[in-house]
Amino acid sequence: MRLLLLFAALLAGCAATPPAQTPPPQGSAPVEAAPPASLGVPAAPAAAAPNPAVERLMASARADVAASRLGSAEATLERALRIAPRDASLWQQLARVRLQQGQYQQAESLAARSNTWAGGDNALRAENWNLIAQARDARGDSEGARAAQQNAERYNR
Amino acid sequence: MVRRRRYWPYIRIGLLALALLAAGYVLYLDLRVRHEFEGRRFALPARIYARPLEVHVGLKVPEDDVVRELRELGYRAVARPDGSGWYVRNGAELEIAVRPFVFWDGPQPARRLRVSFAEGAVSALADAQGAEVALARLEPVPIGGIYPTNNEDRLLVRLSEVPKVLVKELIAVEDRNFYSHWGFDPRGIARALLSLPTGHVQGGSTLTQQLVKNFFLSPERTLRRKAVELVMAVLLELNYSKQEILETYLNEIYLGQDRDRAIHGVGLAAQFYFDKPVQKLTAAESALLVGLVRGPGYYDPYRHPQRALERRNLVLRETRDEGSISAAEYQAARARGLGLNPRPSTGTTPYPAFVDLVHRQLRHDYDEDDLRSEGLRIFSTLDPRVQAAAEHALSDRLAAFDRQGRFGKPGLEGAVVVADPQSGEVQALVGGRDPRYQGFNRALDAERQIGSLFKPAIYLTALQDPSRYTLTTMLDDSKFVWQPPNAEPWRPENYDKQYHGQVPLYLALAHSYNVAAARLGTTLGLDNVFATARKLGIERALPPYPSTLLGAANLTPLEVTQMYQTIASGGFRSPLHAIRDVTTADGHPLKRYPLAVAQAFPPDPMYLLTAGLQDVVREGTAQSLANWLPPLGVAGKTGTTNEQRDAWFAGFTGARVSVVWVGYDDNRPARLLGATAALPVWGQMMAALEPEPVAFPQPEDIEQATIDPQSGLLADSSCPGAIELPFVKGSAPQARAPCAGNPVVDNVKGFFQHLFGH
Repeated sequence: MRLLLLFAALLAGCAATPPAQTPPPQGSAPVEAAPPASLGVPAAPAAAAPNPAVERLMASARADVAASRLGSAEATLERALRIAPRDASLWQQLARVRLQQGQYQQAESLAARSNTWAGGDNALRAENWNLIAQARDARGDSEGARAAQQNAERYNR
Repeated sequence: MVRRRRYWPYIRIGLLALALLAAGYVLYLDLRVRHEFEGRRFALPARIYARPLEVHVGLKVPEDDVVRELRELGYRAVARPDGSGWYVRNGAELEIAVRPFVFWDGPQPARRLRVSFAEGAVSALADAQGAEVALARLEPVPIGGIYPTNNEDRLLVRLSEVPKVLVKELIAVEDRNFYSHWGFDPRGIARALLSLPTGHVQGGSTLTQQLVKNFFLSPERTLRRKAVELVMAVLLELNYSKQEILETYLNEIYLGQDRDRAIHGVGLAAQFYFDKPVQKLTAAESALLVGLVRGPGYYDPYRHPQRALERRNLVLRETRDEGSISAAEYQAARARGLGLNPRPSTGTTPYPAFVDLVHRQLRHDYDEDDLRSEGLRIFSTLDPRVQAAAEHALSDRLAAFDRQGRFGKPGLEGAVVVADPQSGEVQALVGGRDPRYQGFNRALDAERQIGSLFKPAIYLTALQDPSRYTLTTMLDDSKFVWQPPNAEPWRPENYDKQYHGQVPLYLALAHSYNVAAARLGTTLGLDNVFATARKLGIERALPPYPSTLLGAANLTPLEVTQMYQTIASGGFRSPLHAIRDVTTADGHPLKRYPLAVAQAFPPDPMYLLTAGLQDVVREGTAQSLANWLPPLGVAGKTGTTNEQRDAWFAGFTGARVSVVWVGYDDNRPARLLGATAALPVWGQMMAALEPEPVAFPQPEDIEQATIDPQSGLLADSSCPGAIELPFVKGSAPQARAPCAGNPVVDNVKGFFQHLFGH
């Protein structure tokens, strides 16, 4: 029995290993020509080196939101997204601003956009699903909101 | 006598009526003069700007391109310690004195920047004191305007801004008694008549009369018109001060032609001829402008420099004779060259196709009259670097075809659209082989069959159902006949006239097999495929025939770009747009065009489709892209239509989506393939723009499997040409390909490698 448990543990260990061993992101590496060829270059991780320009704009957008200057926050976040279009947290911020502006459809799409760039950041994903739930709720789609809320909880675990 | 007495009362009444009529007419003219003079604000064209360059560390841009943009902005390559608007280049470091500018989000003061470059990117950014700067925005390049119907352009100036010497010169030459007459000048007329044979410069009209003529009257020359002009001139003088009349004159006067753009007023003329504000004009420069009043075409300093110089010197001499400048000033001014701004003329815009798009999008929100007269400031999405790359690539490739000599006259035409897939911002638009030509805008208006560019809509429809379709699902590329009720049967053929039997879906896409695609599309149902096309952004109603599956629908390059934007963004459709912000002439924000996205498709099928489109480039019809671009996982699709009338390429890198069309305007067969005519344009352009790899994050529900292309089944290292393909989890083939080794042995080997190998 103990042996069996040990074996199971080993297997579990093996099963757990592959995700950690997936090839490193090929952000800049060319697609290999030698077989097996690989399509679909995985994304550069969301948590790339922080860009001071983006950080400055992000801070400015936060200040705008705090002062209820939503139009200004929106413009600043769009400016930041032109510099770092793959920054999941920028998309999320913009989704949040749209939610506050009452543009629920946009908020939902932007949060979904953020999810596509979220990589392994489960907290960010959970928050995106939260935003989607709020947006759906505000639109009167309570069933959709519940489903989104469940997704949020799944990532929060 | 009796008779006379009898008629006299009638004559008197008649005369009285005549006098009343005349008085009424004068009153009417007076009303008109006052109404138009006061109500009239000069029509100011809407000004359109390119996107501002945002400089930050890591920005991929060669130093040369930044310098080119500064030169386009009129920056001089000389340091002027007090001023702005210049740059100095020290090897890999660029010092820039950025001018102040009023952006849509407020004014930005002048500032000094030091930008360092390394390996084609910005490596450091600091201010004059050496302190780090996170982000700096340069002024946006003005790229054109939306002009009043007669294409009048002007920059308004106040009389106080105009140099005194310019006013003195104007008065000396055009109207010596300006300050003393009542709108007309008998002495001037007499002098003009007397001096007619001697070629004296003076004309008979006062400045007031000239203004009236330009302002209110048609150009015909009749006695009646002359009389009305005289009356109106007097009325103008009665109603307004000399200063007001002079200021209006200085802004109204026509001073030159820049292709289709009419240069009005001394403010714009100063900028156009000398690239400086009116305040900075010297006596010689302003004398040139004053000399132009009589005939901007005849004395055009660019085309007739000698004539213009003589005219200028005549103006200077008259001014000296009037005692308005000293003999020494005269000598100094006379000794100067013309000192013209060497910039080539651009007309209303160097980018007519793009400005056309801006104009059309503005019409949704603004009155045409307001656009042409309110001086709105339009901040557009044009990226001059991308535009230049697109123009060069198209003209280079078309010139290469011209040299082959088999394409006749008029030659091949083309169009290019480039957009940012994340936002839908249009970065560049080329409407034909001559990008400066303001005519037929093929990027927006050429409705052409799109051929195989439509196929992604079919495959995307299929891939949305992973229980039935994966990238390796075998499709049937054998002979296919579609028999609609009461119509001719449809027999699609492949380009190579061959049938390829059973083919995995991804290879049918890569090699653009028509028969497999047609069969798949009809199996899925035309309505379903068309619904996908609509969600991809094709708003036009598609012809309800199966031939539409193979691209028998006419679309414009811009419409196709919208479709591929949705694909390039992973299923998030953003309406293509060319405007970011609009402000009033004085910088007050009017309207934003915010980033808008709509999730049209879930991530999984988009990821699969993109992998398929990447394989088009890796081993399919777009393989030759390798001649231009390194393997970056670029995704794309070639398109060629019946009898090769249209050559298309649509594709995307990590940062840009673009569509290229090449063909004849009259739709005759061009005998060119998408891969040989349109793809090279695309490749050359993208290669010039620091292409980034396509980086789609792999969705959580996607896994990779190694596939044997022959069987579409699982492969291992012993299978030749095996390829790794994405699958929605659980949809990958379970069976192993014949070439693959024994699964059990393999698994056990893997298990022991895990245990002991690492």
